[in-house]
Amino acid sequence: MAEVVIEVNNLAKYFPVTRGLFRQKKIADVKAVDGVSFTIHKGETLGLVGESGCGKTTLGKCILQLLRPTSGEVLFESRDLCELSDKELVPIRAKLQVIFQDPYDSLDPRFTAMDIIGEPLRIHNISKGKEYRDRVAELLDLVGLARYMAERYPHEFSGGQRQRLGIARALALQPEFIMCDEPISALDVSIQAQIINLLDDLQQKFGVAYLFISHDLSVVRHISDRVIVMYLGKIMEISTRDELYKNPLHPYTQALLSAVPIPDPAVEIKRDVILLKGEVPSPMNPPTGCVFHPRCYRAFADCPKIVPILADAGGGHQVACLLYETSRP
Amino acid sequence: MAPLLEVKNIRTYFHTQDGVVKAVDGVSYDVNRGETIALVGESGCGKTVSALSILRLVAEPAGKIISGEILFNGVDLLKLSDAEMHKMRGARISIIFQEPQTSLNPVLTIGRQISEGLEFHKNMSLHDGMLEATRLLKLVGIPHPERRVYEYPHQFSGGMRQRAMIAIAIACQPQLIIADEPTTVVDVTIQAQLLELIRNITKELDTALILITHNLGIVARYAKRVFVMYAGNIVEYGQALDVYHQPCHPYTAGLLASVPRLDEPRKNRLQPIEGQPPDLIAPPAGCAFQARCTYSLPQCSKEKPVLMQITPGHFAACWISQRGTKPWQK
Repeated sequence: MAEVVIEVNNLAKYFPVTRGLFRQKKIADVKAVDGVSFTIHKGETLGLVGESGCGKTTLGKCILQLLRPTSGEVLFESRDLCELSDKELVPIRAKLQVIFQDPYDSLDPRFTAMDIIGEPLRIHNISKGKEYRDRVAELLDLVGLARYMAERYPHEFSGGQRQRLGIARALALQPEFIMCDEPISALDVSIQAQIINLLDDLQQKFGVAYLFISHDLSVVRHISDRVIVMYLGKIMEISTRDELYKNPLHPYTQALLSAVPIPDPAVEIKRDVILLKGEVPSPMNPPTGCVFHPRCYRAFADCPKIVPILADAGGGHQVACLLYETSRP
Repeated sequence: MAPLLEVKNIRTYFHTQDGVVKAVDGVSYDVNRGETIALVGESGCGKTVSALSILRLVAEPAGKIISGEILFNGVDLLKLSDAEMHKMRGARISIIFQEPQTSLNPVLTIGRQISEGLEFHKNMSLHDGMLEATRLLKLVGIPHPERRVYEYPHQFSGGMRQRAMIAIAIACQPQLIIADEPTTVVDVTIQAQLLELIRNITKELDTALILITHNLGIVARYAKRVFVMYAGNIVEYGQALDVYHQPCHPYTAGLLASVPRLDEPRKNRLQPIEGQPPDLIAPPAGCAFQARCTYSLPQCSKEKPVLMQITPGHFAACWISQRGTKPWQK
């Protein structure tokens, strides 16, 4: 397997919940990410799926140190990013980039396209003058925008074009890793495929690794090499793509997959949907044992008591569910 | 029997600083009693505006229904007085909005908001209205309805707010419900719950449903007939099976080809529709889709195609399929 770019060990991020107006007292923790470990390899796409509030974005931000994790390690080039100061992180940030969800919020409306794409180049003092303008033009070509658009402002671009600007900005410093946080969910169906193909092409060209965060399971299947399924801050299942979609083990993954409607009436009429009971519980007060057990249709007596461990299930497949735990050491 | 609702050639335009936006430009469709139809299309295609026009909820003075007829039980809604229209909304036709967050009133209890329609349309007292609201909350699957009925929207989660919206919509047992992207802001597992609920309730009450969505999967799961919109026009309609299996408009075919499907082997590459939807202030001459169409003919940029029947019950506005060819079909 290709070399590891990023290794995440037992990462956790807790947000304190406080009460009181003047003297704020901590009353609880929201465990947004709770003890998560995985690796990302060179040139691969790791999909990250889960419902809103499950900690996908927090996890991504913790990897990039946009949020400082509460505990755990993020190893990049054999250094733990969590231990580095903000100043020490600056040169590393050139290699770890991000594409945000909303192309309307993540571009400065007073910057031209050139200012936006070129900002990383200016911050890291990579190029100046003609060289700078040439590099911006080259980046515009790469993401399928015309060079003359460099002087335009964000409001003059459509949603899909703005997302292309965001991608060009992320690519400017030739990073090794890009966190893509729901990069297509704000776009129209016909535009989504354009952006996915673009991300695909760029990965093949530059060998960049993606963490692709999304709630759309069909898109994740298309773009990912491996997939993580998260629920309430924990990993429920990690697997290679084909294995996960062919043979989902965790009841949560099974329910998620069955809830995705398939665009074919002839198929839909024959399909059974696993309807989950209730909603995602509050991460402030998560259920005991397996966090999924109150909504699980296969839960049994042990589920509220024992926390399942993410364990190997063979074929590059790991699952955290008591149904698959045969014995405990 | 005549259809419950007949929308005939409506045009709804918005006057903006940049010019007149032809959001809905000559749209016709019909809904039978108890039937579920879907309006599909991307943002800005006019699907929401065409539905808001039925309820005459288009924001004036900027927006205006320029022409057309909307026959509901044979009565033209566009000719009703404001007072008569007021009696129609909520009682005979109701709507479930996309974002329960912004469409519920934050300073009224959920029960009061359900009871409001009952008090107005059915002359119920507040007390009876609240009792009925409790029953409705139970019907839409909210636990502890007797307590929840006194709570405010901020105490409800997103999925529960949408359930409350459904309770408001069905309170007066309307003949038609318009659901405008009812599940776009919730997660897939909640989406499945809500859509099942809407399906069961409309079936039980024999209510017709207009489902507005951009999600082709949802349409396939819930609608019998489909109307595909593009740039303010309906470009194709027919039975869902026909439209999905034998699309007669290249836009429909393109949309279907561009989404990855979980039940099919993974493709190495998606087939996007290149380009972007046209500007609705100055739409191009001829077919609005022509610039993005791989198969366009010289005629396409000159003459605007009209809807014509291609096979029984299956209509498309496309010069190519009207010649009896469908080059997008493999």
